[in-house]
Amino acid sequence: MKKTLAIILALVLTLGLASSALADDSWPTLRVEVFDRDTPGLKVAEGWQAKYAQENFGDPNQINIEFVGYARWGGEEGLIAADLAAHIAPDICITYNNNKIVDQYIEFDGLWKLNDLLEGAPNLKAFLTEEGDDLLQVGQRDGVQWFLNARRISRANVGIFIREDWLKELGMEKPTNIEQLTAYLEAAQEKKLGGDNTVAFPFGIYESDPMFNVRRITDAFVDFAQVSEEDWYAYSKTPEMLPGAKEGFRWLNKLYNEGIISESFALQNNDAANDTAMVMGYNGFFTGQPDQPWRTDKNYEIELEKNVPGGHWISCSPFVNESLGKALRDIYTPAGLLIFVPKDSDEEHAKMAFKYLDWLATPENLFAMQNGTEGINYEKLNEDGIPVGVKAAADVPDENKIHAGDIAFISNGLYYGSAEKNAAALSLPFTGYEEDVKAAYLDSMTDTWTQIGWSVPIQAVTDYEGTVRGAEAKFIADVVSCDPAEFDTVYDAGIEDIKSAGATEIIDELRANFQAGNATGTFPGNK
Amino acid sequence: MTVNAAKPAKKKIHWFRRDWRLYVMLILPVAFYLIFCYKPMAGIMLAFQKYNPVVGMWGSKFIGMKNFEDVMKLADFKPALVNTLWLNLLGLIAGFPVPIVLAIMLNELKAIKFKKVSQTLLYLPHFLSWIIIGGMVLQIFAPRTGVINALLMKWGWIDKSIPFLTDGPHWQGTYTFIGVWQSMGWGTILYLSAITGINMELFEAAKIDGANKMQQIWHVTLPGIRSTIAVLLILNIGQMMNISFDRPFILKNAQVRDYCDVLSTFVYRIGIEKAQYARATAIGLFQSLVGLVLISSANFTIKRLGEEGIW
Repeated sequence: MKKTLAIILALVLTLGLASSALADDSWPTLRVEVFDRDTPGLKVAEGWQAKYAQENFGDPNQINIEFVGYARWGGEEGLIAADLAAHIAPDICITYNNNKIVDQYIEFDGLWKLNDLLEGAPNLKAFLTEEGDDLLQVGQRDGVQWFLNARRISRANVGIFIREDWLKELGMEKPTNIEQLTAYLEAAQEKKLGGDNTVAFPFGIYESDPMFNVRRITDAFVDFAQVSEEDWYAYSKTPEMLPGAKEGFRWLNKLYNEGIISESFALQNNDAANDTAMVMGYNGFFTGQPDQPWRTDKNYEIELEKNVPGGHWISCSPFVNESLGKALRDIYTPAGLLIFVPKDSDEEHAKMAFKYLDWLATPENLFAMQNGTEGINYEKLNEDGIPVGVKAAADVPDENKIHAGDIAFISNGLYYGSAEKNAAALSLPFTGYEEDVKAAYLDSMTDTWTQIGWSVPIQAVTDYEGTVRGAEAKFIADVVSCDPAEFDTVYDAGIEDIKSAGATEIIDELRANFQAGNATGTFPGNK
Repeated sequence: MTVNAAKPAKKKIHWFRRDWRLYVMLILPVAFYLIFCYKPMAGIMLAFQKYNPVVGMWGSKFIGMKNFEDVMKLADFKPALVNTLWLNLLGLIAGFPVPIVLAIMLNELKAIKFKKVSQTLLYLPHFLSWIIIGGMVLQIFAPRTGVINALLMKWGWIDKSIPFLTDGPHWQGTYTFIGVWQSMGWGTILYLSAITGINMELFEAAKIDGANKMQQIWHVTLPGIRSTIAVLLILNIGQMMNISFDRPFILKNAQVRDYCDVLSTFVYRIGIEKAQYARATAIGLFQSLVGLVLISSANFTIKRLGEEGIW
């Protein structure tokens, strides 16, 4: 009894000491931007990761680390842009947005040139160049390193899922082409497999980038015999104009008129409603992220099983492009979010920033910042050193909650030291569903093409993207919901509308930049 | 005489001495207006600059009217302008008389408890955030699954959904209706206080002359609040070019884009989302100038009609 008491007292003392060692007023403060993804119970600015960084980096170096949270779901770019303009942005800034903010600051010399700072951060440099120099080149303009990009561990982007229990009920096999998928959707809708609320295909419009989800479908209809590599790049912002894509919209229009796509699809920018339909078992098919059914924050699979006994999502690949004979899926570029240091930070802070990034890049710190504590955030390590039995955020006490994704933002995705381990780790957090998740990743990395990027600012995109996106959203709403007899007219009018909204200017400028060699990405067709 | 000569000087001191507390109290509001309304006006410069975020507006290059030209040639500008004016006009026509009628009705209520409960219920929507109203609208007006459509279909009154939210003109009707519903109660406050200010003797005199309730309202109440109506009308017309952001932003959807895109959502999309602050400022300035013209002409007309106007 005495012994236990002594241990408890000792623990309390050490904990007390540890926390009292935080934050000395005489130390300089390094402000670091982090995304706040609204995880219930997690205050990113004072969470476990912030404390870990303070204790293991701040205290030994006599620096106060301040995490500055920016709402990820609510226009993170706008917030950081406003703070940059007001000269109160953190010392280390991050954004997923390429050309809106950073290019403006590069143009006016408002960022630290990172070449020398990076040389002074060997761990960071080694981490970022492990797979070659490509990643650093993304942030360079004429040899000047203006920003860094996080490493993207998993480049998979597209997951396509179908209800295995519905397939069984209909006596169907997993669809391997669009025809079979159509038959499945029609049968499921007709038999109302999800009850009165059945919407076999939950289709919605993501207004800030309407083609983002839709091109996964329409690309399957593109006639690559008619698409040159140059066209592919020139139309990369407006894939609805690729030859053949029209038939993809005609397919969607057919589904709408058969009641498979909901009448209110254009109103569905409300994620919460979609999540509910998904877990209540109203839906039979969807496209999303490669691990969408098992994501730890809202697990469609487990929630679905609670509501619909036997409910089960599996990956499928029905969107086969006939002109190529394969089901195309896009993948991310190897470059993740952008990291930069604004000029408003003085040299001392710029150096501290890189000291921090270098600290973050050492394996044990990156591991801790991404995985948390053994026994709390995960059960144990397996023989490869990968955590197993990873807990959902809701099952972790508040003071130990972490956001694995982008608080350790030099790595987009969990990093375990080698490509093989990283791939193996992708399915491990989803206990009980490892095989499903593996199959989904395999599908999402089969017959891929890398998303297109541009190494220079595209003026027409700055000028017209807003109006073009609006016209695209309207176009999709119109062509999907119109009377099939009017489809061709509506389609043509919509394309004209998109063109006059500025798509013509964007296409021309992208074409010129492709010719000038400013494009990155891949062309899935035959060159 | 000497006494008289000294009086004005003494009076002056007296005037300040007597009211100095009031002037002290005035410091805060004046400071508020200087800091938050006048100082930011310098930002109008942005509309004529190629904005350099690194040095800010004091160091950016002057480029004349280029931002205005760039914005106005965008395909979405004209529809956004037309929709702003049209939706505001609809709101004015449908929404302006409602609070007046309501105020008169509330005023005529004799049961105090019932009157108070009605007033509170009428004010309530004003305090709901548009986010919440947006959610309610979706539940009520959505095609097929919305309460109204679902009920009408169940009763067999319609066999196709009424496209409250998915057809342009319908959407504009829904938008206007929701706006009126949300603000009508709140709008009655000024009228109610104006009605309270009407001399009771006028009502008594009308009664003695044999005027019934409707005649009293027509000949006493309405003329009594005429100047309030005029002032509010001028202010409303002055706001014709301004449209709030949250209401159209929350209620809009892709299907009715040509009918729902207004200047505020347009500015957000091309200015704020794209970090193009100079262009956003240019549109803001344009809106203000048109607003100034509108409010001046409304004021002029009202004065011509014999009312007091606002200046």
